[in-house]
Amino acid sequence: MTFLIRKTMGRRAALRGLFKGTAVAVALPFLDCVLNESGTALAAGAPLPVRFGTWFWGLGFNPGRELKSLANHDFEFLEEAQPLVPYKKDINYFSGFNTPLDGRKLHVHFSGWVGCRTGTAPINGGEISAPTLDVLVADVIGGKTRFRSLDVSSTGDPKDSYSYRNSGSQNAGEVSPVSLYARLFGPGYVDPNGGEFKPDPAMLARQSVLSFVGDQMKEYQKKIGAADRARLDEYFTSIRQVEHQINLQLQKPEPLASCKVAKAPEETKLGDEVETVLVNHKIMTEMLAMAVACDQTRVFNMLYSQSLSRLHRRGETFIHHSLTHEEPTDPKLGYQSAVAWFNIRSMEAMADFIAAFKGIKEGDGTLLDNTLIFANTDTNYARLHALDAVPIMTVGRAGGRMKTGMHIAGNGDVITRVGLTAMRAMEVPIETWGSNSMQTANPITEVMA
Amino acid sequence: MLRHLVSIVAISVALIGCGPGEPKTAGAPAGFRQLSEAQYRNIVADVFGPDIQIAGAFAPIPRTDGLMAVGSGRVAVTPSAFERYEKLARFVAAQVVNADNRPMLVPCAPAQGAVDEACARAFYAKTGRLLYRRPLTDAERDHLVALTSQVAKAGTFDDGLAAGVSAMLVAPDFLLIGDVIETDKSGAQRMTDYSKASRLSFFLWNAGPDDALLTAAEKGELASHAGLTKQAERMLQSPRVEAGVRALFSDMLMLEGAATLQKDPVIYPAFGMAASFDASEQTLRTIVDLMLTRDGNYRDLFTTRQTFLTRTLGVIYEVPVQKSLGWVPYTFPENDPHVGIQSYASLLALNSHPGRSSVTLRGKAVRELLLCQKVPDPPANVDFTLVSDSANPDFKTARQRVSAHSSDPSCAGCHKLMDPIGLSLENFDGAGQFRTVENGVTIDPSGELDGVAFQNPIQLGKALHDNTSATQCVVSRAFAYAAGRAPARDERQYVDYLHKRFADNGYRLKELLKDIATSDGLYAVGPGSPATRPQAAADAAKERS
Amino acid sequence: MNIHLRSVLIATCAIGMGAGLSSSAISASAPKRTIGLVVTSWFSAKYNTPHWEECPEGAALGNDELWIKNLPQAQRIKATAGGAVQPVDGERKTQAVVRGPKGEDVCWNPEVVKDPPMRIVRGKTGYGFNLDGTDDGRATPKSCKHDKFTSPEGVKVDNQLYRLLGCILGMRNDAYLEGHPNQERQDSGKGTILIEISDVDDAKNDDAVQVAFYGSIDTLPKDSTGKILANASYRINDNPIYGTKARGKIVDGVLATDAADVRLPMYGNNYTGDIPLKDMRLNLTLPREGKPANGLMGGYYDFAKWWDYFQKIEFLLVSNQWSCPQVYVAAKELRDGYPDPQTGECTALSTAMTIEALPAFVIHPDKPNRVAANDSPTRLAAK
Repeated sequence: MTFLIRKTMGRRAALRGLFKGTAVAVALPFLDCVLNESGTALAAGAPLPVRFGTWFWGLGFNPGRELKSLANHDFEFLEEAQPLVPYKKDINYFSGFNTPLDGRKLHVHFSGWVGCRTGTAPINGGEISAPTLDVLVADVIGGKTRFRSLDVSSTGDPKDSYSYRNSGSQNAGEVSPVSLYARLFGPGYVDPNGGEFKPDPAMLARQSVLSFVGDQMKEYQKKIGAADRARLDEYFTSIRQVEHQINLQLQKPEPLASCKVAKAPEETKLGDEVETVLVNHKIMTEMLAMAVACDQTRVFNMLYSQSLSRLHRRGETFIHHSLTHEEPTDPKLGYQSAVAWFNIRSMEAMADFIAAFKGIKEGDGTLLDNTLIFANTDTNYARLHALDAVPIMTVGRAGGRMKTGMHIAGNGDVITRVGLTAMRAMEVPIETWGSNSMQTANPITEVMA
Repeated sequence: MLRHLVSIVAISVALIGCGPGEPKTAGAPAGFRQLSEAQYRNIVADVFGPDIQIAGAFAPIPRTDGLMAVGSGRVAVTPSAFERYEKLARFVAAQVVNADNRPMLVPCAPAQGAVDEACARAFYAKTGRLLYRRPLTDAERDHLVALTSQVAKAGTFDDGLAAGVSAMLVAPDFLLIGDVIETDKSGAQRMTDYSKASRLSFFLWNAGPDDALLTAAEKGELASHAGLTKQAERMLQSPRVEAGVRALFSDMLMLEGAATLQKDPVIYPAFGMAASFDASEQTLRTIVDLMLTRDGNYRDLFTTRQTFLTRTLGVIYEVPVQKSLGWVPYTFPENDPHVGIQSYASLLALNSHPGRSSVTLRGKAVRELLLCQKVPDPPANVDFTLVSDSANPDFKTARQRVSAHSSDPSCAGCHKLMDPIGLSLENFDGAGQFRTVENGVTIDPSGELDGVAFQNPIQLGKALHDNTSATQCVVSRAFAYAAGRAPARDERQYVDYLHKRFADNGYRLKELLKDIATSDGLYAVGPGSPATRPQAAADAAKERS
Repeated sequence: MNIHLRSVLIATCAIGMGAGLSSSAISASAPKRTIGLVVTSWFSAKYNTPHWEECPEGAALGNDELWIKNLPQAQRIKATAGGAVQPVDGERKTQAVVRGPKGEDVCWNPEVVKDPPMRIVRGKTGYGFNLDGTDDGRATPKSCKHDKFTSPEGVKVDNQLYRLLGCILGMRNDAYLEGHPNQERQDSGKGTILIEISDVDDAKNDDAVQVAFYGSIDTLPKDSTGKILANASYRINDNPIYGTKARGKIVDGVLATDAADVRLPMYGNNYTGDIPLKDMRLNLTLPREGKPANGLMGGYYDFAKWWDYFQKIEFLLVSNQWSCPQVYVAAKELRDGYPDPQTGECTALSTAMTIEALPAFVIHPDKPNRVAANDSPTRLAAK
């Protein structure tokens, strides 16, 4: 706090020096009048950071067995999404959004997630020609933390990561709880509840810019008639508002009460047996959530199972993916029941993921309230690799920028609208996203607060 | 009467040297307008190149007197709007100094750690003049250079330049289009030449003045009718006038609604977002083609069969489209009811409900958008159940349903203005698709407009073509769009004068735009304007002729 | 599938539109019309009973089953981890297909191993056309001796491709081998068949029309709920191998063509090619009252061309369960059309497919056409 005052004085002094000998007047920063004597008033109001993460599971659901749509954007989770029931109020469910390929070949278990996460359907298998949305978010908010983003996979294979800048630049997944812990909380970790603080020079530049504009405004007011003064006054107030925000960011952050690092985990078995995956997923999820609470990163990606999921049950050779194609539809039940078992496990893992963020108190709510999780899969109906109506969910309120607990029926709109909505909520300065038929400039405003 | 007229002419010629016959107007107080999103984009593209991305949402501008161009003179820069502008400014500024754009935009590259003040000064002089639509003052330039140096200290020279660009992009001189007033030799108030240049340029190009126009302003050429005419003619010949005409008609026809238009996907499966955007673009292309490319008669907009289609629109109109990507010219055949922009999908779909057509909304749109006639709002306690109930066996068609309007005297007064027009468009469903039956009953598309009865939508087009209100409407809207305010009551004669000339010129839009752009009425400032610019008297002293 | 079709008569239109519209549309000298259709879905015509009664020997054996069965005991133990795991999963898929004595791929070399005879359809009921004109399937100058099916309507018909493939797991109903390529065609627009019915005087009854078959180079536009939209424009693939024609007539809204040799585009299961169909017949109920066109197409499918496709989908062997050597041997035995003049062996397999089609505009790049709103294919077909 004292720092702020000192710094401000220094800046003023510096400007005087610069203008020595000229008649140019430099306005005092507006912030002087909004600070109390000790400067604590602003610090107390500093907003908590808003974080972004993705969560992926392969092979979707048996269509129609996950969700029942109700009136007024309400919904009910059905059998295959039962584990999510306790978190319904934190979730938005997006159904009926399509992935048009524009005549490009359907690369099975690839075109779906690539389209959804990059907005561009691949021409060739394995080709990723646009960044995944988490990378675009990290480009905006990732620079402020120790890790630009964290990528974790519970399948035991570091190649299992759906975070790419392009085909040649994949953010490989961290797969072992032990090495993830070492990376996060081992050497190099600085406890936010102590230590030194250096302000961001870019903030000072923004302050100077606004100071200039304040002067311009005073000149401008002289030219404008009395009738329009009120409108100019509002402009003036608006400038001061942004100055105020910048000043908040120039202060040493509050200690992060929610940041309490757990003990290092025991070595665990890695692999793609469902039981193993669920255990590793849960341990690494909890670690990841704490890293987020400690502001080590604001962007993270967790992959529970791949699009071509190799997950399998102990003692059985059929993997989840093979089952989707080979298991006959049960004539009595009307769906593939073994596939359904896997789908429910996926949602149990997702429930674990949500629980980890919801379990950490932060400010007046939980870490989940200041987070936006984008959860997606690669197909609507794995049996036929259907790309229409691939389900997506978002979880969390993104610091109040998102409404939750809603079902949004896409009615065939492009799936990129969901990604664009998430990116807009994360304040990514992106106007349109996606290419060809998947290009969109229309976020889903219903879920935006 | 005749003498009166003659005297007006005499005064006009004597006092202001304008086109013959223009009635003098009192003008309105000077004010300022906020840049529209399109104007912001156009200016940034003009100053920093078309590759600069503009990402971010702009605060919406409300429509006043039928136009956002008028509403922009009422709206304030709110904190959230400014926050967006500030963020956007940094985003643009960072692109200006990035490796792709910097070489073309910044005239120097000082060594690491160095600050080239002369270079910064030149950079700001050039870009600032285009952004502020006037030369920067020495003080402004000094201030920007100082800002640059200060920021460069903690970073790089380019960081400093980016800060300067950011600063200009959030300054009122950029974001607001203000009318600056000065006093002429006779002591009368008038708009400065730079303000005139802005008004002219935003009107014809929907963008800021280019170098040539600013130079003309600098030389004082815009003070004379001849100088103004020369610039207006130059600008009307430029391809950039298309952007201006598009902006004018998008605003006038409320086509921005296409971006949020939602149709029921079960009832109108073919009308998705792509169709909505294409339909709006079709209308604009039709207008640009008739008004600019062919320099045609404005009245033919209501009867034209010549348009442009995409494959998506081909599905809506149920006609073949030769190309699967892009636009193809298309002429509806003689027996096709799609005649005139009022029968094309955009206006029909925009003025319908999500799941059905609307006789009333369409009638209202024709009255308000095409004829500039205000239809009063409905009474608050009106009961819509009857009009909506298509399950009622007695109400299979819209005609049967809206007959309830005429039987209720509280409705009849206004609905007789709207319904007979809307009924003649009932051959087009809520997505603008052709139909001849509704709920199994053949639609009777007969109707009436201002005493002219017609049997079908083709004849409605003819009635609109022949209706004087249609051409008066575009005259009044174009003036309001240019001036940022609707014509005042005492400007009636001036508008009539413009309309008369429009008629004499075969209702060619370019002639109308030129007449407005070169009229004194567009630049007149009236009582209530602020105190004159401190320098105005001095400027006036070294006055150009 | 609802095609959002409005049944309209020209006469009502002309009256409804009043004096502003030309009434030439209803005059006797009306120009010949064209009805365009896009095939949105097609499957091979199969008579599948729920309990596989037409396959009394059971489902066709899988390549993997034959592989494991013929492995020496020691290798079999190894492949199944002593019986703890199932013999074939992703790992061993590739081993099963190269089960030739020298490790040959048995789909590319179907004669290097001798499998037991294939389990084929033994049922009596099937769909198709009577292509050879006989009731007993005896040899004729254009056909070899074969068994006939009886259609549910009691007509003796030929469909040897169904007899061959009808007991393969992945071919049943809309299972992967059929359902997936159909979905791929809908999503990608590749392999889309266009049908253009021209010289139409009366869309309900016309004793002489021409029917042309094209490939499309455009995607299938879908509505917001994922249904394919009627009345879209499709540019033809101008490769001259397409555009084959047949004569036909329309009776009560049903189009029936005379026999003709046609070529259709084919895409699916990673295969891009075409289907040469000799002696083709088409029986198609034209769009009416909100329903798409639907019907049956049949003919003789050139064996070599068909095998070119079928051997190339070997990557689907395990999940769909067939054996290339079995299918190859059985197919050669079942060939029933177009005897080779030299050897007397037939060179084609009779087949049939069910098709569904929507009104569409068939676009010839060199022939711009204009159609008034009341003359769209939907409306015309409905008239």
